[in-house]
Amino acid sequence: MSSFTHLHVASAFSGHYGVTRPELLAEAAKADGATALAITDRDGLYGAVKHIGACLQLKIDPIVGCDLNITDADGTPLGRCVVLAHGQDGGLGWAALCHIVSAAHISGKKKNGIAITLDELAKHAIRDGVALVTVLLGPDSDFGRATLSADRNLAAACLLRWRKALWAKATLGIEIVSHITEPGTDFCNVQAHRMLQLADSMGVPAVITNAVRYLQPDDALTADVLDSARNLEPLGLFRPQPNAQAWLKTSALMQRLALEITQDQARATKLLRATETLADRCRLNPPNDCGWGKPKTPEKSTLGIDGNPFEALWQRANAGIDWRYPRAGDKLLTTVRHRLSQELITINRLGFATYFLTVADVAQMIRDLGVRIAARGSGAGSLTNYLLGISGVDPIEHDLLFERFLSVERTSLPDIDIDVESARRHDIYREIFKRYGSSRVTLLSMQSTYRGRGAMRDSGLALGLEDEEIDEIAKNMWRFSARTFRNALAVKPELADFAQVVEADRRMNLLVDITERLDRLPRHISMHPCGVILGDSSLLNLTPVEPSGLGLPMSQFDKDDMDPMGMLKLDVLGVRMQSAMAYAVREIERVRGQKIDLDGVAKDDAETFKLIRTTNTLGIFQIESPGQRELTGKHQPTEFNDLTIQISLFRPGPMKGNMIAPYLDGRHGFAKPEYIHRDLEPILRETYGVVIFHEHVLRILNQMTGCGLAKADEFRRNLEHPKLAPKVRDFFKTKAAEKGYSKEVIEKVWAILEGFGSFGFCKAHGAAFALPTYQSAWLKTHFPTEFMAGLFTHDPGMYPRRLLLSEARRLGVRLLPIDVNHSTDEYLVQPAAPRTTDPNEPAVGVRMSLTEVQGISQGEVERIIAEQPFKDVADFYLRAKPTRRTLERLALVGALDELAGIDRHTRGDILVRVRELNAVAKRPIIDSNQPMLDFDVVERIPIGNQDFSDEEKVKRELEILKMDVSQHVLDQYRPMLEEMGVVQSNELVSLRGKTEVLVAGVRVATQTPPMRSGKRVVFVTLDDGNGCSDATFFDEAQQRCSHILFNTRLLLISGQTRRTGVKGVSIMAENAWDLRELFEAWKAKQPRLSA
Amino acid sequence: MLQLDENIAVSVDRNGQPVSFLWRGERFSVSDRPIRWYARREWWLEASRVQRGIGVSVLEVEMWRLIAQSRAKNWVQYDLRHEENRWRLVRIYE
Repeated sequence: MSSFTHLHVASAFSGHYGVTRPELLAEAAKADGATALAITDRDGLYGAVKHIGACLQLKIDPIVGCDLNITDADGTPLGRCVVLAHGQDGGLGWAALCHIVSAAHISGKKKNGIAITLDELAKHAIRDGVALVTVLLGPDSDFGRATLSADRNLAAACLLRWRKALWAKATLGIEIVSHITEPGTDFCNVQAHRMLQLADSMGVPAVITNAVRYLQPDDALTADVLDSARNLEPLGLFRPQPNAQAWLKTSALMQRLALEITQDQARATKLLRATETLADRCRLNPPNDCGWGKPKTPEKSTLGIDGNPFEALWQRANAGIDWRYPRAGDKLLTTVRHRLSQELITINRLGFATYFLTVADVAQMIRDLGVRIAARGSGAGSLTNYLLGISGVDPIEHDLLFERFLSVERTSLPDIDIDVESARRHDIYREIFKRYGSSRVTLLSMQSTYRGRGAMRDSGLALGLEDEEIDEIAKNMWRFSARTFRNALAVKPELADFAQVVEADRRMNLLVDITERLDRLPRHISMHPCGVILGDSSLLNLTPVEPSGLGLPMSQFDKDDMDPMGMLKLDVLGVRMQSAMAYAVREIERVRGQKIDLDGVAKDDAETFKLIRTTNTLGIFQIESPGQRELTGKHQPTEFNDLTIQISLFRPGPMKGNMIAPYLDGRHGFAKPEYIHRDLEPILRETYGVVIFHEHVLRILNQMTGCGLAKADEFRRNLEHPKLAPKVRDFFKTKAAEKGYSKEVIEKVWAILEGFGSFGFCKAHGAAFALPTYQSAWLKTHFPTEFMAGLFTHDPGMYPRRLLLSEARRLGVRLLPIDVNHSTDEYLVQPAAPRTTDPNEPAVGVRMSLTEVQGISQGEVERIIAEQPFKDVADFYLRAKPTRRTLERLALVGALDELAGIDRHTRGDILVRVRELNAVAKRPIIDSNQPMLDFDVVERIPIGNQDFSDEEKVKRELEILKMDVSQHVLDQYRPMLEEMGVVQSNELVSLRGKTEVLVAGVRVATQTPPMRSGKRVVFVTLDDGNGCSDATFFDEAQQRCSHILFNTRLLLISGQTRRTGVKGVSIMAENAWDLRELFEAWKAKQPRLSA
Repeated sequence: MLQLDENIAVSVDRNGQPVSFLWRGERFSVSDRPIRWYARREWWLEASRVQRGIGVSVLEVEMWRLIAQSRAKNWVQYDLRHEENRWRLVRIYE
């Protein structure tokens, strides 16, 4: 008997339904001797590209379909059926399937969920009388269900309707399925048998499938949990799958099943044969049917080019030379022209001219919108990108290599990633759709997968556990894969309590097991945060689309599918820092009338580097994290290239590769740089002999073997493959010896290259990041008030806003409280009256935004802004129409102080007035013809009520704004802290190493970075109003304070100082306590002050 | 229909198909076409572990529907549950 082809298989990409990844299904089918395999995910082609890729690799034929809901014209459900694309028809079948799936998402979404009407299905399924797809009616269709009813005619009537709608030859088939369930229920042998009889009597071909949703029977348990997540109900409250038969059964078992259903060997054989006939019809030829691997870019005409695209590219790039190098001398110009020619030759040979023109076109469009743009990634190594305005980094000045980005050795479309202002990202997407037309553009999607906490939440739901119970456990799930949950229970101190519960509680035991099962499964599809697909006008024949949260169509394929499908993906990433910087520049111009060209600022400003070296880098792009601040202290950067190096060093690769310490030793003269051979010195001088960058490896290989940089990049990639690395070694050793390098040099260099593996970093990427790093540092140095206003408004960093407030205070930036007459929905820079006689006191400050008031609605904010200014509290009450709650909150945080005249009244007085207004049952309507008795005459604010204490003010601010505006939250604890001898963060740097200290503060960051040793280390950063202190918790310290390590907000930490460099100091923690608990105890012991 | 859950002793043929069973001391002989199917368990109420690879028996259980008679009783339909090496009589359709 020949092999069996499964035609109905849901992969894990059928969200909350399928269990197994496509690659595993294909492998299993191949192992069983199959020559083809279908994927038929629910509601989409989400796993199709991965399936095709896996099949091609295994040399079996891919078949692709979709499991879809069908309705009649008025929306009555007709059940689910499988739509399979026919293959080897020049892509007609594939295109029809794509359009059917897209239609189900666009038209069905409104009322029936994802579904397509039978008429529309028929319209796409048949063209010129030829069937492009086959529609399979299985047990989940109305026909299938009707075969179980007592009314024999019902099923025939259903089938008749389908046959009439899908009239072309071989558009319709009956799908016989038996999961060997209880006789008389869905998916039983009896139903399968009846469906077959009816198919035969009505002349519709029948095939057999197993309606697969998992690889092995054991996976059915996982399917139960997914069913629960889909139904949003615990197991036991909905009808579960009947048994565990929906697995990818072997050919032998499928053949036996056919016999069990038909009870007739001849009929069984015919059924299996019909299945193979349909399979043959649906075998896809990926290049011809799906455009597999064929690059697609917008047509020339849409880019405004007639004639040869390469000539257009040549002209545009050359025209960029005057723009980018206006004052260049002959020598530089020769270098530029030579480099450009080389790059263009490569681009031309690869046929990517249109691609570059497309990206340049988008970049120009973004610039024309007045939005900040920067490149990231290896694309910054291309001079062409720089000249076309795609990248802002000069690859010649920064010594970056084109070959790392693109070479004739690699034929896949390169990734060019563009960073833009996050606040404008959606505008840009809409413009791209407008410019290229919605037939050529879609957004990219992203499959998010189950990870630790998410997996645990849905597992808890399935078991019917209480939300609070789950939250309590999930809270302590920290940095470990849910796949190894049980293992983590044994070793993680913060899970010790839960581990005990697990031992005693059966349900908790199950929770651990199913959480492990869910880990890594696709969870749901969403819009990719930055990807846009640009194609030609046939794009929608190649990818199905569905509406995104943004309203714009989104492809069902994800980023990994782009390269195999030959699709051009453009990453337009919204970066908050770009928004924050653009905001600061606008505020500088608005308030000071000073125009700043941020991209034109010289990159060697001494003041800027001086600020960076203090390690007060909060708010600066890329170098504000605790680890980067520590590294800044050790590194002490003095020039732009230092920033590139520092950003590149603080990455998992270079950290694991142990590159930081030798680099710093070389830099500070603790060790003499080792260049191995004088030929390598020019390459490695910038990093004191340490190989950090991919570019270093390329240059070394090229220098010592003469292989050329393009080939060198291929070798670099091969170094990561255990199988390919030996070939690189042989080549390197032979060629280097031929070029006269000594055996010793060759061995030494090879040891470094071999160890380099995946540890290095692309310098172009580091340089692209260093640009906004430098720019933000420059703004922080020279325009701190405007820069902080930008940070507050766009919140770009990793820290809570209240820490930035603390940093602003430290910088001497004035914080102006929320004021209903001056605040808006942004943090504006405003003039501020002098508070001191200090001539250096800034005359401007940052006005807090109304949006921070908890519970304030957008409508309220808009009304306040529209009605400003107000003349008194009653006027505000009448015209801004705040809710009672908002009005009171505004009064509590002092937003009415100035309006009420805080010089004459206390905040207590204002609150009394506000409560009086709030007590009025109905807000009077303003009528200019009527005197407003209670309101119009004189504002009647009482006097003599008690004012708020400073502590009370901060308490209210924290409650309502989640920020301490008037003073630092720690200030109230200062008497205790002083008594205990707690060290302030800015004093740490003056202490000797190994000094025993206590530090206190608000937790601002907790990190568990990957460590070379594999042991977990926890970094906790505290803010005490004078800056940050960083504490490191190793194993024992973690044990001592595991209960508060991850959750408590205000902490006191004891430990020893550890010097890490000139300006670097951190604390090796010994223990930690909850500051608030200590404070309560301390207060209780204080002698009462006599009244 | 009568629901119950009682141990029985079952004799099977070469294919594992029941031919007769002993219930409450009485021998029942099975007609020639018993039907096997698969039902499920509510493992979330019963199981203590469900880790990957534990095996399908946590979830699935083999069932047989058959018609049988004894000396005292005429042909009646019965449902049998078969798990590991145990047989239980779970339903009588009378």
